[in-house]
Amino acid sequence: MTQYVLAVVLGLLFAFGTFLVLRRDVVRVVWGVIIMGQAANVYLVTMGGISPEAVAPIVHGSGEATTDPLVQALVLTAIVIGFGTTAFALVLTYRVYEEHGTLDLDDVSTSELRGSLVADGGTAARGRDGATDEALDESGPDGSTDGGVTDG
Amino acid sequence: MARTVVVAPMLVALGAAIATLLTRRFDRAKVGLSLAGGIAYVVAVAALFAEVGTEGILTYQLSGWGAPFGITLVADALSAFMLALAAIVSLPALVFAVRYVGEQGQQVSFHPVFHFMMVGVTGAFLTGDVFNLFVWFEVMLMSSYVLVVFYGGGPHTRAGIRYVFLNLAGSAFMLVAIGGLYATVGTLNMADIARRLGDPVTYGVDPAPVLGLAAILLAVFALKAGLVPFQFWVPGAYRAAPAPVSAVLAGVVKKVGVYAIVRLYFTVFGVGTVPGGLGLPGLDGASFLNFFGPVLFVMAVASIGVGGVVAVARDDVDELLAYSSISQVGFIVLPLAVGATVPAVRDLAIAATLVYSLNHAVAKGLLFLTSGAIYEAVGSIDLRDLGGIVEESPTLAGGFFVGGLALVGIPPLSGFFGKMLVFDATARAGADLALGAALVGAVLTIAYFSRAWNRGFWGEPSEAVAEARPSGVQLSVVITLGLVVVAIGVGFDPVFEAASRPSNSRR
Amino acid sequence: MSTVIARTVVRTVVPLILVTAIALLLQGHNLPGGGFIAGVLTATAFVLIYVIYGQDYLEEAVFHRTPVPSLEMFRHGILEYYRSAFGLGLALAAASGVAAIGFGEPFLTQTVRFLHHVPLYGEMELASALVFDLGVYFTVVGALLTILAVVGSE
Repeated sequence: MTQYVLAVVLGLLFAFGTFLVLRRDVVRVVWGVIIMGQAANVYLVTMGGISPEAVAPIVHGSGEATTDPLVQALVLTAIVIGFGTTAFALVLTYRVYEEHGTLDLDDVSTSELRGSLVADGGTAARGRDGATDEALDESGPDGSTDGGVTDG
Repeated sequence: MARTVVVAPMLVALGAAIATLLTRRFDRAKVGLSLAGGIAYVVAVAALFAEVGTEGILTYQLSGWGAPFGITLVADALSAFMLALAAIVSLPALVFAVRYVGEQGQQVSFHPVFHFMMVGVTGAFLTGDVFNLFVWFEVMLMSSYVLVVFYGGGPHTRAGIRYVFLNLAGSAFMLVAIGGLYATVGTLNMADIARRLGDPVTYGVDPAPVLGLAAILLAVFALKAGLVPFQFWVPGAYRAAPAPVSAVLAGVVKKVGVYAIVRLYFTVFGVGTVPGGLGLPGLDGASFLNFFGPVLFVMAVASIGVGGVVAVARDDVDELLAYSSISQVGFIVLPLAVGATVPAVRDLAIAATLVYSLNHAVAKGLLFLTSGAIYEAVGSIDLRDLGGIVEESPTLAGGFFVGGLALVGIPPLSGFFGKMLVFDATARAGADLALGAALVGAVLTIAYFSRAWNRGFWGEPSEAVAEARPSGVQLSVVITLGLVVVAIGVGFDPVFEAASRPSNSRR
Repeated sequence: MSTVIARTVVRTVVPLILVTAIALLLQGHNLPGGGFIAGVLTATAFVLIYVIYGQDYLEEAVFHRTPVPSLEMFRHGILEYYRSAFGLGLALAAASGVAAIGFGEPFLTQTVRFLHHVPLYGEMELASALVFDLGVYFTVVGALLTILAVVGSE
């Protein structure tokens, strides 16, 4: 049963992520990439095999069957990497907004054609997505993976 | 058995990154440390190259865990060749960057990020584990994101966004393919995968899904290498990045994708066969390579065509070089496609790919650095603003001339043997279509370089060019790299020997 | 944001978070936890202070330094602290790996020693992996707070 649920959830996550990546709003694209990354992580965990009796590979010496620890180690590393890339993507979003005054990819290209950094006209785009600011505050480092990579 | 020489290049690059990070406020010390790190990297790679030359394949178990479980680093002739390529391009680019990237940029994070990128590149070349390959890809890409986006300046943000998001999506797919590989094969160590695929019945491996997962991986690697139809990010990113960074992106980072294709498809997935044939229309044979040969062929031919045709019509030198590098990667992959389909020429084809990679890395690096020096001196790299550079600065014109001729393939430059080997491999395989595509590509290369040469370098010096003051350091870097291009062509024998060693040791 | 309730809650919660973070850091080498997650938790504690009390409070009361206007921050301000934490953490993690080479072991090899007859604890485990975790911890904290300060100061 678990595997069917997981399969459906994974399919939905990938579909939703793809849908969001195809939007014009940069913030949504970032969300899309994040969701796709998470879907890949969940997928990676399921690749270790699902068995209802197995316990998490933490307590040693108890003799119980544990789930495959390798996929968990892989996913930990992938999460750290995903954390770094997400942070970078959010900082990038912020930079786009700062430079072009808009988060709409089409407007970004038109302001490029004018060759100037448009400061006005962006308020509407920002107000449309209130989550931007909070998301940015919690965003992480672009370099954290470099330290975290060896962690895995 | 701890052979520190295997990790040495990676440690040197990591050390340089950390040292430049810690000396944030002391500009001179930082630049000095960064350059010292670049030189030490070359030394470390040279030591590893020599060691691999005498000892053959070297393995290194990180933190002492045993082979299929721990992280394995493998240095063989292929890794050593690619590392040498990386070292040859990265040091000149670094020296060039010291005089090119703005003072503030250097102060903030240019040097650490550059060295982190080299850590990623080195790790990707050395790792013997598929998941670890993903990790090093990410380290490399993360650094390149920073270099493309934050050193690109406002107008290029959109190109940066495209580069970042395409590669992020690519990484997600790579993760999916790796997860699937683990579930079907039961291991992620490359040597172990090859062993299990070679004897699927004993290990209980079903080869058919592995073929599909390998195809997903191929898409990811093609994205990193900038092959058609995954080439969209290339022109924007190369224009956005500062010239020395573009040189490394085109010269080294792209080759990581090519390396991954050579490594995984010819030594790991190459042993796999689908019992009962592939079952795909128009494809005979049961080997995985019977499937990847045609796929690579289509990609290579499309890259040669698209890149070449578009490059002919470009006025911006950087853009021209970017499209040219799409076309040249086609040339690099074409022998692989032929070699995958015709086993008789496989060894020659891999050697041709490696030689052409080296040629493209050095020549394209030279061209990007020349274009950067022109930009610095003239203030524009648009062919409409340029003209008569030969009169004002023969050195810069010479750099472009040598780089262009090397890509066209004129003896005695490095490109001659690269092109010759590509033609040799395709002709021996009797692949007329591939031969034709390569010929068309060669003609297109001549076309776009002669157009750029005529408009930008010959004739009366334009107003902007007449006031040009090229920097001495940049000129000397251009001259040095130009000499390397000539040296590879003149002293080709050892290069060819090094490039054919990977396929010899494969047997 | 800054209601009395929020301020009071932060006062209680921040120490708890920090203690949890340190616990995770110390047990990370053989139990769930580790430098990365401890670093993220610590950064969360700082984010809470920052959101509720503001950046200036964070600088004055927590780091005991006078806040400087935002443009200057890029050169001299509190950022320099965070960035050195990032660099030092990275150096520590790398050094703990390189140290193994000095003992003739492969890069990143870790070892463990048990100390007997320690007051209060009896037996104590001294793992070299802790040094690596500590490096990761500082890296993560430094990097997260750098981003927080740069983006948050706008």
